[in-house]
Amino acid sequence: MITRKSLPRRTFLRGLGTAVGIPFLDAMAPAFAASTMPDPPVRMAFFYLPNGMIMDAWNPTYDDGPLRELPRSLKALEPYRADTLHLGNLTHNTGRALLDGAGDHGRCSGSYLTGIQVKKSLVDIRAGVSFDQIVASQIGGRTRFPSLELGMDDARQAGDCDSGYSCAYTNNLAWKSETQPLPPVLNPRVLFERLFGSGQPMTAEERRRQSKYRRSILDFVTDDTHRLEASLGPTDRRKLDEYLSAVREVERQIERAESDNRQIDPHMEKPYGVPADFAEHFKLMSDMIAIAFQADLTRVVTFLVTREGTSRPYRELGIPDGHHPLTHHRNQAELMEKVRRINEYHVQQFAGFVEKMKASKEGERSLLDNSMIVYGAGLSDGNAHLHEDLPTLILGRGGNYFKTGRRVLARRETPMCNLFLTMMDRMGLPVEQFGDSTGRLDGLNLG
Amino acid sequence: MPQFFGGRQAAGAFYDTDFSTIDSLLAVSLLYGLQNKNDCRVAIITMSRPNLAVAGFADAVERFYHGPAGNFSQLPPIGMRTDGPPGETSAAFTAPFQKRKADGTAVYKNQVRTIIDTGDPITLIRNYLEAQRDQNAFFILSGPASNLAAALAFPGLKALIAAKVKYLVVAGGAFPDGPPEEHVRADIAAAGKIFAEWPTPIVASGTEVGAALEFPGASIDKQFAQAVPDNPVADAYRAYQPMPYDTPAGAMAAALYAARPREGYFKLSDSGTIKVDEQGRTSFVPGEKGNHRYLIADSAQKEKILSAYVELASAKPEIRRRFQPPVAQDAPELKK
Repeated sequence: MITRKSLPRRTFLRGLGTAVGIPFLDAMAPAFAASTMPDPPVRMAFFYLPNGMIMDAWNPTYDDGPLRELPRSLKALEPYRADTLHLGNLTHNTGRALLDGAGDHGRCSGSYLTGIQVKKSLVDIRAGVSFDQIVASQIGGRTRFPSLELGMDDARQAGDCDSGYSCAYTNNLAWKSETQPLPPVLNPRVLFERLFGSGQPMTAEERRRQSKYRRSILDFVTDDTHRLEASLGPTDRRKLDEYLSAVREVERQIERAESDNRQIDPHMEKPYGVPADFAEHFKLMSDMIAIAFQADLTRVVTFLVTREGTSRPYRELGIPDGHHPLTHHRNQAELMEKVRRINEYHVQQFAGFVEKMKASKEGERSLLDNSMIVYGAGLSDGNAHLHEDLPTLILGRGGNYFKTGRRVLARRETPMCNLFLTMMDRMGLPVEQFGDSTGRLDGLNLG
Repeated sequence: MPQFFGGRQAAGAFYDTDFSTIDSLLAVSLLYGLQNKNDCRVAIITMSRPNLAVAGFADAVERFYHGPAGNFSQLPPIGMRTDGPPGETSAAFTAPFQKRKADGTAVYKNQVRTIIDTGDPITLIRNYLEAQRDQNAFFILSGPASNLAAALAFPGLKALIAAKVKYLVVAGGAFPDGPPEEHVRADIAAAGKIFAEWPTPIVASGTEVGAALEFPGASIDKQFAQAVPDNPVADAYRAYQPMPYDTPAGAMAAALYAARPREGYFKLSDSGTIKVDEQGRTSFVPGEKGNHRYLIADSAQKEKILSAYVELASAKPEIRRRFQPPVAQDAPELKK
């Protein structure tokens, strides 16, 4: 009888101030017990894009059914068409003015995951517990981090970001309570150290030793790594090596960004360590999401790619105009084309993340298969500030749950919160009501 | 002065109907005519039977009156119930789509192809009520009360109705008594629930009111044709029955009263309670504590009412101005 002891799922490589989680390995399953091997966990992430989209390049021209050729803005996702659900007609009524006048940008991001019409105020901030935090509060204890909140744009938590709406609404997606947003981490170095730090405060001596050599965190866990490798088969060794190489690559990119920042314009707004280049910053942040999922450091991520109302220019695309002003294009073809190109560019960056998720294997499936990655926006037509037919994609099958490769149209005005109820079902939290939900979103599951 | 600097917007009109009569369609034209006069704002139209052909036509009528969606302006979908019998599809709702321009293209486009192009009535009622100021909306019911009864049963919606809605005007029943009426009989339980539980005053416009104030069909080829060459409601009227004909107009009476309660078009019964028996017969029990009344056709007002029907329903569509002057106060007898 074989009595090999399996490796615990929550194994960390530890060293000086360091704790590196590792991916799912065959050695974590009991020997000859494939049939009893637990399903890998389901992960959930939200990538939020601001200022709406040019919908003629987002929505297919066809209705429900198999996804055929993807619209222009989504072309970069063509290799992952079979992994994609393209949802239509989802609405956030709570993002609308209702009786609160101007401020669609402030409202739509505040309501996006809370399903609540946020209070129009600069000081009396009130939203609601966001859906991701409800999930995190229930399952977060199973991972090192209940959730991760990431962003790339603006971390101001006060001031007027839209017609009397506090920046707390535009600059956060996740809300722990109705008055407590969870500000996103913008700096890749901060995120990296959070992911791979030991979680224990370092002594002054440890910090001095670590910074003195400026070595890779992997150097601090060499002993643990060697010990683990010795106990692994060739497949697991290769998998571990690929994973640690990915971690090292992220670390190198951060170092490069830090080095670049020292050399460029001192007036640049970006804080130390934050890449000036959008694509580089996005790649770093999304690579770390993939790593965090791979190592099961968390199962819940929100990524506020850029904030509502952002006037970020896209000079790398030859677009010096601010994103938000461009979206008020008044149907002028030239301005609309620039917004289309920005929309495409964002999706291209996202496709890189999807590729990584799909390439990472977990048993017979990919990491993407075991995830629900929502890519969406709180406005559809940014020019008209419309809150219906919100651009929404789900990448991944949620662990063999969603039937992907399809365009699914809900009835018009179907609450976005109905999708959240369905996702909560998949995360093992069946609840009857969230935000302004009226039921579950039909037609997504394998049935 | 722009509305947001003071005053109050015209009340939001919520119209729930089965479109089982041409009168129920004319009421849409009337409501948009009243909107042009700033006597109401058409909020949503919900349908109490699952019939895509009829919903498609109602949607085309909405587009005709509403104009294109623009900045900050959405054209809400037609709300459509998905259970229950679909009922008959009159030629009134299909024939207009056959009408062609000189170049052969369709005059009216049916953009409701599947249920996806409609909305859930309860969701729409909830969403659009939330956009109304307190006590600044009214409902008109012309058809079975199925949707409104479902709205009352939806968590939180009864309280929202109580907060936002001034009154409900029901085109249905017979008063002070009479035989069972079609709209009530189509869903007796729902009608009973509405009269028992609806949290605002209710005014009923019984069949006797509609019969006493028939819409003058001759206006279709006169005032309607003069205002707009292609009007889907006028074309539907022509296809509904062989012309010329007049038609009972209970839904129009309900809509006119709902938007202009102070105009004195109708006499109003004393307060009381409307009850629905098992056969769908309505009865009125007078009593000061009751929250219900019914309209009484006033022969002295007939010409004035019919003129209003024609003038308002035949009016050319106007894009609603976002900011309108304040409106007059409500009828004092309907204060809760």
